[in-house]
Amino acid sequence: MAEIETSSPCVPSSRAARRRRMEIRQFKYVAGVDTSSDSENGRKRQKIDGYTASSSRDCENAVANCYSDGERHRLDTENGKSETKKITISNEFLIQPISAQSPIRSTLKVEPEVFNEIPKFGVASVCGRRRDMEDAVAIHPSLCRKEDGGTAKLHYYGVYDGHGCSHVAMKCRDRLHELVKEELENHESSMEWKNAMERSFSRMDKEVIGWNETVVGANCRCELQTPDCDAVGSTAVVAVVTPNKIIVANCGDSRAVLCRNGKAVPLSSDHKPDRPDELLRIQAAGGRVIYWEGPRVLGVLAMSRAIGDNYLKPFVSCEPEVTITDRTAEDDCLILASDGLWDVVSNEMACVVARTCLRDKAGADPSSSPGSDVAGYNSDKACSDASMLLTKLALAKHSTDNISVVVVDLRRDT
Amino acid sequence: MSILANSAQYMASVPGRDNTPERETFRKFFDCWLSQQNQHLDDLITASTHYQQNTTTHSTPLEDDETLLRSLIHRVIHHYEDYYRAKSTWAKHDVLAMLCPSWRSSLEDAFLWIGGWRPTMAFHLLYSKSGLQLEDRLADLICGLSTGDLADLSPTQLAQADELQRRTVREEKELTGKLAKQQERVADSSMVELSHIATELIRSGQTSQNAAGGGGLEDGRVESTLAPKEEGLEEVLARADDLRLRTLKAVIEILTPIQAVHFLIAAAELHQRLHEWGKQRDAKQNGAAGGTDQTL
Repeated sequence: MAEIETSSPCVPSSRAARRRRMEIRQFKYVAGVDTSSDSENGRKRQKIDGYTASSSRDCENAVANCYSDGERHRLDTENGKSETKKITISNEFLIQPISAQSPIRSTLKVEPEVFNEIPKFGVASVCGRRRDMEDAVAIHPSLCRKEDGGTAKLHYYGVYDGHGCSHVAMKCRDRLHELVKEELENHESSMEWKNAMERSFSRMDKEVIGWNETVVGANCRCELQTPDCDAVGSTAVVAVVTPNKIIVANCGDSRAVLCRNGKAVPLSSDHKPDRPDELLRIQAAGGRVIYWEGPRVLGVLAMSRAIGDNYLKPFVSCEPEVTITDRTAEDDCLILASDGLWDVVSNEMACVVARTCLRDKAGADPSSSPGSDVAGYNSDKACSDASMLLTKLALAKHSTDNISVVVVDLRRDT
Repeated sequence: MSILANSAQYMASVPGRDNTPERETFRKFFDCWLSQQNQHLDDLITASTHYQQNTTTHSTPLEDDETLLRSLIHRVIHHYEDYYRAKSTWAKHDVLAMLCPSWRSSLEDAFLWIGGWRPTMAFHLLYSKSGLQLEDRLADLICGLSTGDLADLSPTQLAQADELQRRTVREEKELTGKLAKQQERVADSSMVELSHIATELIRSGQTSQNAAGGGGLEDGRVESTLAPKEEGLEEVLARADDLRLRTLKAVIEILTPIQAVHFLIAAAELHQRLHEWGKQRDAKQNGAAGGTDQTL
């Protein structure tokens, strides 16, 4: 099991750091146990179908609710026959101990001083004018801690846009952050970002392909047609936000855009088959780009990198491009979205909308104050409104695809 | 009001009992229903304008307005229910007429799914109307102002619509599968055997002239072989109509009264205009066809 790797050697820089790391390790052990019985993991790692859950309440509340155990239980029973879960939001540090007599109870306790930053985010993800939902979103505040000039916590945001079927995107939603976490904890140097991301994506790709060969998804429309599902894949755009940096790893045509002082700064570059360097890479590997309703690898796939799509390897690569951006005081927000948004809304337009939403709501709306949150986290109302408005804007601009938008507030003191 | 009475009268009449062909009575019912819808459309537009004026002067909607809107919505939904009730009554007598409705234009016909509008179309209608209203008021919405119309869909509403849409797609696919099953039965053994026997009879000249009508000997058998097929189609049609009505009601339930009014306006406008345009095109086609006939 992958979790065993966590016992790999590490060099603690201090006693405190070592203690913290041990906490994480024990924690991860539990995670391993729990994820193995996915349906029974209510206490440890929570998945919530944001949309089933939100049928009785606002999205942002549904998100916020996943931090309260009572609510969580209620939502769980509501979702008893949970079908296609599209959004995963977890918060490991807020989760209650496994049981009263659990020996690791004390190690799970969260010390207040480690809350060095409360992530504010909002998410919207809809089927839109498509008949099938193939997008998935994963949000994991406080995914892990890393030696990054202190006890900084890392927040994880991922958007996955599946093609062929939804199961690769769903698999990414369920697993990629765990792989990223493992890679980060196993390789402590902060210079390792690029490698850690590349390894995570590569392992994700292998898992997807391996999984395709063994397991057939339960609610998967491709299962009857192609049991090995070789023609299924997903984009992945992942942002890890630390107190000082934004690390974006991208594979495919979803996109991360930083809104800095009102200006749009793309943190990823879409992998389209006609991007000159991608075209050269594909041709060097012996592949061809054929125009069939736009440029496509071998005339099939309209993106040049993706997770899955085994039959298009090596022309379609799963290697992400990684950017590391220093955060500045001028940063407004980060927008991650699938091409359902970017096809019809420009980076600049998205930034203007998101920024205005955040700025106007911040002062005016008392409900976004941290008083209403649970245990330190709060899916922010302004961010939710921003992600929702961008989604509606994409629908208004005739987007014909699934639309998923994550907005992360990056302002330092609001 | 007289029109209302008229349509009720058509509905009450048991189809097939008099000499009027069933298709003709349903056509009359449909025409009545359409003009009633047109009246409702007027009412809906008036109500929305009135509401808009009141909210701009009072800033918050009056409770009376909401109540009025609710009763209007109720009336319009009831009108749709009437339509489906009538349709199901007629379908029991002539399902084939309901599946290829001659009272529809060929333009409408091209967009039909199992004898009516495609249920998932409701979501496209919602998103399109909402999008148009959103583009009009984008600046206000960004600043967090409320517009009250479909541009104002809340996160909850959009999530609910999304969930409903996914469920509707699933049900629609299921029904499409069921229709496929029914349609495939047209070539089952009983049909193939019967058509072979009938053909042999014609070829042997036994039934000579009247063979074209099915042959006196085989009439009963033809009817009894086709009957279960028609029953199967009738069931699929009933379920499709049920899904249509349920989807319409479920969308309305997600919306606030004024949003529901906007949605019903958009639905009626699309329905009315599509019918009108289709009729005009058909008339032009027929006119052109008639013209060439005469010149020949």
